Amino acid sequence: MENIKAVFINEIIKISKKKKITAALIFSLLTVIAAAIAEYFISNFAGIRVTGSSEFSIMILTILSYSLFPLFTAFICIDMFAGEFADDTIKFTLTGPASRFKVFLGKIFAAAAFIIFNLIFVMIISVVASLFINNFIPNLFKIIVSYIMAFLPIFIFALAVIMISNLARSTTGSFMLSIFIFLMFIGLGLAFPLIKSFLFTSSFDWYRLILGSYINYGKIFRIFLILFGYGIMLCASGYYLFEKKDI
Amino acid sequence: MDKAIVIENLSKMYKNNRGIQDINLEIEQGEIFGFLGPNGAGKTTAMKVMVGLMKADKGDVKINGFSIADDYEKAMKDVGCIIENVTPFPYLTAFENMQLRGRFNKEVNEIRIDECLEITGIIKYKNEKIKNYSLGMKQRLGVAMAILPNPKIIILDEPFNGLDVEGMVEMRELIMSMSKQQKTTFFISSHLIHDIELTCHKVGILYNGKLIGVDSTHNILKNYSTLENYYLSEVDLNGEY
Repeated sequence: MENIKAVFINEIIKISKKKKITAALIFSLLTVIAAAIAEYFISNFAGIRVTGSSEFSIMILTILSYSLFPLFTAFICIDMFAGEFADDTIKFTLTGPASRFKVFLGKIFAAAAFIIFNLIFVMIISVVASLFINNFIPNLFKIIVSYIMAFLPIFIFALAVIMISNLARSTTGSFMLSIFIFLMFIGLGLAFPLIKSFLFTSSFDWYRLILGSYINYGKIFRIFLILFGYGIMLCASGYYLFEKKDI
Repeated sequence: MDKAIVIENLSKMYKNNRGIQDINLEIEQGEIFGFLGPNGAGKTTAMKVMVGLMKADKGDVKINGFSIADDYEKAMKDVGCIIENVTPFPYLTAFENMQLRGRFNKEVNEIRIDECLEITGIIKYKNEKIKNYSLGMKQRLGVAMAILPNPKIIILDEPFNGLDVEGMVEMRELIMSMSKQQKTTFFISSHLIHDIELTCHKVGILYNGKLIGVDSTHNILKNYSTLENYYLSEVDLNGEY
C-alpha cells in the first residue's frame, strides 16, 4: 500500500507541474464564463429562458463531458504512459521498489484524481455562475449526484486511453487513436441506435436519468453494469500490455 | 560471504538474433563487479533484465536472495540503479526528482537528499530544472538518485558517461568508499577499461551476448600487464563466437 501511495503522490506532483492542468482549468473556466454570459443575455434581452438554476450546471457538464473533460483526460493519461515511454522517463518509475502492478494502479488512481478535481472545479464555478444568473440557490443535490455520475464514463474513457497508450508507440499515435475511437463510438451510436446502449460514449450524459420526475433505477443499474464491465476489461487489458512491455 | 547477485542461465534474445545467452554469474556482497564488453555485446540488455525492465526468455536473477521475476519488490528494495542513460523528469528540479525517488523510502528526508546532491557535487543546482542540465550533471543526478536510499546494491550502466576527468575521479572514489565503508555491492558496466581496472574487484567480459571470462582484477593483473591485454586476449580466444 505504501508503494501505491508513493506512486500516486508522485504522479499527482508530475501532473500538477505540467502546463496542461493550468490549461484545463483555464479552458473550463472560460467555457463556464462564456456560457453564463450567453445565458444572461439570452434570458434578459431576448426573453428566452434557456436553463433553470440547477440546469445551468448540468448544461455545462453536458458540454464539457463531450469536449474538454475527455480531451484533457486523454492528454494526462497519454503523458502518464505513452509520454513516459517515449522520453524514457518511465525507467525512473519502473526501477523503483514498486512492482509494475502498483505503478499501474498508482497511475490509474492519479488519473481518477485528476478527473475528480476537474469535475469539482467546474461544478463549483458553474454553481457560483448560476447564482449570478438566476439569483436563487440551485438544487445542489441533483447537481452533486450528476457530477458524481459523470465521473464514471470519463474514467472509463481514461482507461481506454491508458490501454491505447500502452499499445501505440508514440504520444501522437496514442492521441490520434484515442480521438478516433472516441469519435467512432459516437458515430456508431448515431448510425446504429440499436447498439447505442452498449457504447460507453453514449453514457457520458447518463446523469440525465436522475433529473426527471421519474427515475428509472433499473436503467441506471444496467448502464452502471455496462460501464463497470468496460472498466474491468480496459483495466485488465491495459495492465496486461503494461506488464508485458519491455523497456 | 553472502551472494548479493546471482544470475542463472540468463537468456534474452531479440528478433534480430542478438541479445544475451546463458549468462551465469555470482557477485558477493561488498564486491565491485565490472562488466566489460564492446558496443552491442548485451551489457545493457543483461542489466535491464536484472532490474526488471525486461523479461528474460530463460533463467533468473536473484538479488539479495529474491528472484526479480517472482519477488520484484523484495529484490529491488535495496537496489539503486542507472540503466542506459539517466532520464529524470525534465520539467522538475533536481530536488523534486530526488523527492520522487525518496517517497518510496521512509528514511529519506530533505537532509538526506541534500547530502546526496552534495556528495555528487550538484547541490548548488538543486532548484534548477533538469531541462537546463548538461549530460554530466544529469549523470551526477542519476548517481545521487541511485545512492539516495542507502541501497545495499547499486547497478550502474556506463556511470562515467558524460563526466569530465574530475567527475570520473570523484565517482570512482565514491564507489570505492561506499564499497569499503558500507559494504555496498556495485555492478558496473563500462567501455572505459582503465576506469574498470582502477575501480573493480572482479571483472566479467561479455562478448556477442556470452560471458566469456570472469576473474578477479588481482588475478588478471598478475597474469597480464593491463586489463586491456586480458580483454583483448579473451576476445581473441573466443573469436569463434
